Amino acid sequence: MTRLNARLPYQILTFALFAAAWELYARARGGLLLPGFFETLRATGALLAEPELWRALYVSNQALVLGFAIALALGIPLGILLGRFRTLERYADVWLNILLVTPMAAIIPLLVMWTGIGLTSRTALVTVFSIVMVIVNSRAGVRQVDPSLIEMARSFGAREREIFTRVLLPGALPAVMTGVRLGLGRAVTGMVIVELLMISDGVGGLILEYRGLLKAPPLYATIVIILAEALLLISAARWCERRLTHWSRTTATRANLAGSPK
Amino acid sequence: MSALRRLPAAPLSLAAGAMVWEVIGRAAGVSFFPPLSTVLDRLGEMAADGALLASVRDSLLNLLLGTAISLVAGIVIGVAMGRSRRVEAALGVYVYALLTAPSLVFAPVFFSLFGAGRGAVVAVIVMYAVFVVIVNTAAAVQAVPAHLEEMARSYGAGERQLLPRVVLPAATPMIMAGVRLGVGRAVTGMLNGEMFIAVVGLGHIVTEAGGSFDSASVLAVLLIVIAVALVAIALVQAADRRLTRWVPQTAKGAQGK
Amino acid sequence: MIEIHGLSKTFTDRRGDTVTALDDARLDVAENEFLTLLGPSGCGKTTLLKCIAGLVPYDSGTIEIDGRPIQGPGPDRAMVFQNFALLPWASVVDNVAFGLRLRGVARAEREERARELVATMGLAGFEKKLPGELSGGMQQRVGIARALAVQPQVLLMDEPFGAVDEQTRRLLQEELLALWEEQRPTVVFVTHSMEEAVLLGDRVALMSARPGRVAELVPVDLPRPRARGGGPDRSGVYAELTAYLWDRLREMHEEHRTVRTGAPA
Repeated sequence: MTRLNARLPYQILTFALFAAAWELYARARGGLLLPGFFETLRATGALLAEPELWRALYVSNQALVLGFAIALALGIPLGILLGRFRTLERYADVWLNILLVTPMAAIIPLLVMWTGIGLTSRTALVTVFSIVMVIVNSRAGVRQVDPSLIEMARSFGAREREIFTRVLLPGALPAVMTGVRLGLGRAVTGMVIVELLMISDGVGGLILEYRGLLKAPPLYATIVIILAEALLLISAARWCERRLTHWSRTTATRANLAGSPK
Repeated sequence: MSALRRLPAAPLSLAAGAMVWEVIGRAAGVSFFPPLSTVLDRLGEMAADGALLASVRDSLLNLLLGTAISLVAGIVIGVAMGRSRRVEAALGVYVYALLTAPSLVFAPVFFSLFGAGRGAVVAVIVMYAVFVVIVNTAAAVQAVPAHLEEMARSYGAGERQLLPRVVLPAATPMIMAGVRLGVGRAVTGMLNGEMFIAVVGLGHIVTEAGGSFDSASVLAVLLIVIAVALVAIALVQAADRRLTRWVPQTAKGAQGK
Repeated sequence: MIEIHGLSKTFTDRRGDTVTALDDARLDVAENEFLTLLGPSGCGKTTLLKCIAGLVPYDSGTIEIDGRPIQGPGPDRAMVFQNFALLPWASVVDNVAFGLRLRGVARAEREERARELVATMGLAGFEKKLPGELSGGMQQRVGIARALAVQPQVLLMDEPFGAVDEQTRRLLQEELLALWEEQRPTVVFVTHSMEEAVLLGDRVALMSARPGRVAELVPVDLPRPRARGGGPDRSGVYAELTAYLWDRLREMHEEHRTVRTGAPA
């Protein structure tokens, strides 16, 4: 708590400097396309009262919820299987490495050709954006489980199914939750990108609409609101992660204490 | 290392994947999923007509500028955050927030700041790549064991010698892991930025081809972009190996994250 | 009782090189005996223990317990691990009850038994703690309680006190002696410490590295109970035995070096 309080003045200072620089730059160079900081704030407040915004958020988040749920339902079991069965993993590894660096936005045109510009396309894109993160982290979680725990369980007569439920799944949970959090970040990215690049609907569509109308303040306000939603969701995921995996910090702290006298 | 044992699995798996693509592409006969051979043919046509080469050059220049800015800024800011509690307190939350935020929403902002051109694309690339470099560098610098620093001080090293002689070398493996992630994200940022701003580069081609439902061209460009990403990452790894020869082999697998 | 005949085990590492860990090893452990297994590092003592546990399949030979050949892990044996191998997400009680749970013991019963053992091991009040919140010595007390909970006929211990500090080790040794003298399970205890081998064992099985087999069985002629101050006379038999074991181990190390360098040391 004391550390948090000690940090706060610096955080506020950074934000104040950023806001001041923005405001001054906008006033000096200000044009039709660059509102100042305070103007953006006012526009954000005004936009929050607009039903149009809430409709757009509803449309966007439908794809987010559906797409991310599919990514979790497929990605977690797949990652755990890959982590447990090495042969499978050896063949999947090269594809996962490629998928991790593939800019998924490029497949948006193909998705549109396949399923049109509706909810299905947007949902599929959210899934495609987030699933690789979920798979890779779940796999890493299973691989991180201390092999001596598996040996211990076997010495007490555990069968493969019990090793899965009693050792591998609980042991992998922290990394799986990290995958959920990182995947959620990418899911939000996917949700916005598809709307910005191809399917002008939802909050991304709102940005494009305001840009077309040269309405800079609500354009910036929309960006602020999208960022706020992303941060809220990720903070919520982090909170769940901490609640569910309290134990991993007890061991991590001990390891840190032992590792470095800092 | 298991790299030797892995060698046959990767090409085998790639070949099998390519075959599956070809077979499904032919069997399905749908416009949005052309077989691999059609995509490769289109790639050849595009390469022959010269426009592709110009776009690749444009994109690579964007990528190079964006990556360079990201690395320099990322490492400088990261070291500052790692060494100073105040800088960490001032910037930490914002860096972490921007690391996970959807970077492309800033594109309209850069559009209005820099106009529809190279500047905006480079800014998008930096937005994609810089934060992961900062976060890894800061963590790397903080993870340098205190006893190394104490040892150097006991031999009379001052603050100015400490950084280049002890802290940075000790932090290099983890910094390079961040650079690798940053370069991967830079390529994504390049394509997404170019797709949104849509006047130059490979992203421009994707947007145009996508608009006219020319899926073979889209996939051809995607193959190029993946190749660019893999080559860029391979370059980083080569540099990493040269810089971190002292790290024991057994520990190397562990830095993957 | 445990009878081991002609046990051989060869590992193949990733490069395809083979390492012979055990070569025609032979060992008998009597009922209620505390046998310590001592040898230079790499002599295969842990491999031998894991073969008895049923964790490592062996190439040839037999291991029988009371005349029955072992086939994999079984409820008659329980193991204590060098690195404790506690589930970091489970409380002390849940860790102790782990083996019982795998055997389908009902919740109320296994928790009651686990709590009793936690108290026996001097951990009362720590039932709900996580392993990460305990010191190394306390963690190994949990590991021992987990093994005792399944009431094994044979207790297999793999350098159980190797990862704790010297003073904690002494305390744990005394506690183990007191437990053993009360309950008298058959124990096979792997260690690399001469002092520990002599202090705890009825006999010390001295293993050689190449070939990996039991080279000599040294009876420990020290009175029991040895726990709690009734410890051995440090100047007499105890000192002689540890000195003798060290002489034998040093010979093995020197032979090993000669073999490796091709020149006498």
